[in-house]
Amino acid sequence: MSKVREKVLFAFLGIPTAICLGVFFWLASVLLSGFGTIKWNLLTASVLNGGYLEMIVGSAYLLLGAAGIASPVGVLAAIYLVEYAPRGRLTRVIDQAINNLAGVPSIVIGLFGYTFFCRQLGLGISLAAGWFTLSLMMIPIVIRGTEEAVRMVPNAFKEAALALGASKWRTVRSITAPSAAPGIITSILLGIARVAGETAAILFTSCVLVTRGLPKSPFEPVMALAFNLFVKIVALGESPDKVFGIAFILFLMVISLAAAATAFRIYYRRRQPWLK
Amino acid sequence: MGFRKRGMSHFLKRLKAEPVEVILFLCASSSIIFLFLMLLFIAKEGAQAFLTFGINFIIGSVWETNLDLYGAFPLIYGSLMVVAGAVVIAVPLGVVTAIFIAEVLPFSFRDLIKSLIELLASVPSIIYGFVGLLFIAPQVARLFGISSGTVALTASIVLAIMSIPTIVGVSGEVIAAVPRDFKDAALALGATKWQTIKSVVIPTAKSGILASIMLGFGRAIGETVAVLMVAGNVALIPTPPWNYLSPVYPLTATIAMQMGEAAVGSLEYSALFGLGMILFIVTFIVNTLADAIVKRESKFRSGVK
Amino acid sequence: MVKVDIRQLNVWLKGNHVLKDITLTTKENAVTAIMGPSGCGKTTLLRAINRMNEIIAGCRTTGELYINGRNIYDGETNVYELRRSVGMVFQKPNPLPKSIFENVAFGVKIHKMANGESLASIVERSLKEVALWEEVKERLNDSAFSLSGGQQQRLCIARALAVNPEIILLDEPCSALDPIATAKIEALMRKLAEKYTVIIVTHNVQQAARVSDYVAFLYLGELVEYGPTKHVFENPQSKLTERYLTGEFG
Ligand SMILES: Nc1ncnc2c1ncn2[C@@H]1O[C@H](COP(=O)(O)OP(=O)(O)OP(=O)(O)O)[C@@H](O)[C@H]1O
Ligand SMILES: [Mg+2]
Repeated sequence: MSKVREKVLFAFLGIPTAICLGVFFWLASVLLSGFGTIKWNLLTASVLNGGYLEMIVGSAYLLLGAAGIASPVGVLAAIYLVEYAPRGRLTRVIDQAINNLAGVPSIVIGLFGYTFFCRQLGLGISLAAGWFTLSLMMIPIVIRGTEEAVRMVPNAFKEAALALGASKWRTVRSITAPSAAPGIITSILLGIARVAGETAAILFTSCVLVTRGLPKSPFEPVMALAFNLFVKIVALGESPDKVFGIAFILFLMVISLAAAATAFRIYYRRRQPWLK
Repeated sequence: MGFRKRGMSHFLKRLKAEPVEVILFLCASSSIIFLFLMLLFIAKEGAQAFLTFGINFIIGSVWETNLDLYGAFPLIYGSLMVVAGAVVIAVPLGVVTAIFIAEVLPFSFRDLIKSLIELLASVPSIIYGFVGLLFIAPQVARLFGISSGTVALTASIVLAIMSIPTIVGVSGEVIAAVPRDFKDAALALGATKWQTIKSVVIPTAKSGILASIMLGFGRAIGETVAVLMVAGNVALIPTPPWNYLSPVYPLTATIAMQMGEAAVGSLEYSALFGLGMILFIVTFIVNTLADAIVKRESKFRSGVK
Repeated sequence: MVKVDIRQLNVWLKGNHVLKDITLTTKENAVTAIMGPSGCGKTTLLRAINRMNEIIAGCRTTGELYINGRNIYDGETNVYELRRSVGMVFQKPNPLPKSIFENVAFGVKIHKMANGESLASIVERSLKEVALWEEVKERLNDSAFSLSGGQQQRLCIARALAVNPEIILLDEPCSALDPIATAKIEALMRKLAEKYTVIIVTHNVQQAARVSDYVAFLYLGELVEYGPTKHVFENPQSKLTERYLTGEFG
C-alpha cells in the first residue's frame, strides 16, 4: 500500500472522530448559548420568586450527603481489596459484585431505593433516602478510582514503613493513603460528577417539585435541578425553552465538576514523579 | 506484594492483630450485600405480577393500565429496538474513533481529545434528553415528514450519542493496552501503520472491544430519562415491527412514567417492579459476560492460554 | 565490502541530543558489536539503521546513513521496504499473539512475498536457519507464548529472516535469557554472519569479544572508539574504552 493511499484511508478513519467532536461542540454551544439569557440574580432567588436557589442547594445537599456515605465506604473497600484481600474465591466474587453494582440501571437503583430506604427503613421521600440511593451509584466509582490510586503507590514506600516495624494499618494511614490522596480525591469528584445530573434514581426517593424553603432535616424531601427539569418537561409538558435555565445550570455544574476532577488528576500526576 | 497471606486460619490470625480489617472487609462486601438486597426486594415487590400473569408477563402483548393487564412484550421490544438502533450507529463510530485516537492521531492531540470525550461521558442523561427533544426530534420529524419526532429513531440517535463516550473510553483503554512490543515487531518487519493496526492491534484488542460494546449495550438498555423524553411512549409494537418512525415505550421509560401513579401494593405497582427485575437480570448477565471476556483476555496475554 | 555507512549522524529524542556526530562504517558478512554503558545511545543508533526511531514522537535525525550506497534518509527511500531488508530483533523476545507458524509467516504475508506451499517452505527454511524447526515442527499451530524465552527469541530471529533481509540488527538479544539459551543465540549469530550483515548491541564485554568481528564503543552519545574487535580489546586507543573493558564502569 502506498503512503498516499494510507493517508487517504486515515483521513476516512478520522471522520467518526470528527463527528464525535462535532457533537461535543454542538452540545456545548447549544447549552452555553444559555449563558447570555440567564439572569444571574435568579441563582440566589427563591423558587417562589422564580429563582433557582432551592434547586441548586437541594442538589448540592444530595450530592454532598451521598459523597459523605460513598467516600468512606468506597475508600475503605478499595484499601481492603488492594492491601488486605487474600487471593481467593470470595475476593473474586466481591470484585465481580462491584462491577455488577456499577452496571445496575439507575432506574432499578431508584426502585430499590424506594422500597428499601423509603419504605422498609421508613425514611419516606426524603433527603436521606436520596443520599443512600445515590451513594449506591457512587460507591463503585470511588472504589475503582481509589484502587487505581492505591496501586500506584510504589511498593518501596510501603516496604520502607513496614521494615521499620509499622503495622499494616499504620502503613496504610501514614504512607499509602497520603500518597494516594490526590487520586482518591479525583475519584470522589468523578463520582460526584457522575451522579450530579442523575434523575431516575431520585425520581421516587427524595424529590418534590416545590418545597417551602430548604429542608430543615434529612427526613424532609428536597428540590433538585434534574428532578425539576424532568417533571416540568415530561409531566407538566412545559415547553423546553421555558426550562432552559435549569438545563443550563445543571450542565454547567456537572461539566465543571468533571473538568475539575480531570484537571486535578492531571495536576497531581505531574507533581508526583513516581506516577511516571 | 509481600504481605498477602492465604487461608482461613491466617485470616483469623490477622484479624486478631488488626481488628480494623473487619471494617474494611464489611465496606468491601457492601456491594454484594446491596446487590443481594436489591434482588430480594425487587423480586418481593414484583412477585405478584409474575404470579398473576405467569409467562404472559413477559410474552403478553397488551400493556394496558386501565384493564389492569400487564404483558411486557411491547416494552421489551421497544427497549431492544431502540438499543439495536443505537448500537448500529454507535459501535462503528465509537470503535473507529477509539482506533483513530490511539493509533493515528498525533501524540499532542491525543490527551486533549480523550479528555473532551471523557467530559462528554459525564453529561447527564437528562441533558441529552433535553437536547434531543429540543433539537433532534424536530429535525427527525421534518426530515421524514412525520407529525411528531418523538419516535424510536430519535431515541436511538440520542442513545447512540450517549453511548459513544463509553465505547470510545473503554475500547480506547483496551487498544492502548496492546503492548508496544507487538506493534514494534510488526513495524520492524516493514508493516505499514495500517497493516499494523489491521493485523496486530485489532486482533489483539478484539475481545476487549467486544467487551466495551457489551458494556455500552448494558448501559444503553438501562438508560431511562433521555430515552423516555424522545421515544414517544406508546406501548404498542410498531407496524411493521421494524418501523423506526413509530413511537415505542421502552421498559425503563414505563417504570419512570408510571411509578408516580401506581398505588403501593397494586398490581400495576408490582408489574413495574417486575419490569425492574427483568432489567436487573438482563444487565447483570450482560455485565458478567463482558467481565468474563476481559478476564479471559488478560489471562491469554500473560501467556497462560 | 562496506554495507552500512553512517556519516555525521545526529539524533534528538524529545529535545535530548542522544547521538552526536556518529560516523562509522560496517562490513558486509561481519558481526559488528555496539557497546557502551546504559543510556549512551546504543539502541537509538541501532534503530536509526532501520528508521524505527521515527515512530517515537519528538524524534529528529540529521546526517546521512548509506546502505548499499543509498542514503536512507534522502526522503525517497521506501521505509517499509527498508525495514524488510533490515531485520530487527528486540531486547525482550516479542512474539506476536499468534501461532508459531503465523509469527514467522507474518512479514512474508505483509509484503505479499509468498503464500500457500511456498509460504510453508519459507517458514520451514527460516525455522531451520535458527535451529528451531526440530523443536517446533509438531506444534506449529500452538501459541508462540507456549515457547521458552530462548525459543521465543530464536522465533523472533526466524521471523526477521523470513523476509529475506540483508542486515540483521539485534538489540541485547540475550539480556532476558539464561546462559544456555544465550550460548545458542551466540552460535547462531556467528552462523548468520556467513549470509547476512549482523549488528548487535550488547552490554556484555565478553559477549562482544566472543561474537563480534568489529566493535564500536559509545559513550554519552559519542562514538569513542571503533575497530576490529581484536585490536580494540588488546590495544584500546582511548582511556575510556580501556576502563570500560576492564569493567570499571558500565
Ligand atoms: N523515547 C524517548 N524519549 C526521550 N528520550 C529518550 C527516549 N528513549 C531514549 N531516550 C534517551 O536517549 C538516551 C539513549 O537511549 P538508548 O535507549 O539509546 O540507550 P541505550 O544505550 O540503549 O541504553 P540501555 O543500555 O539502557 O538500553 C538515553 O539517555 C535516554 O534517556
Ligand atoms: Mg538499549
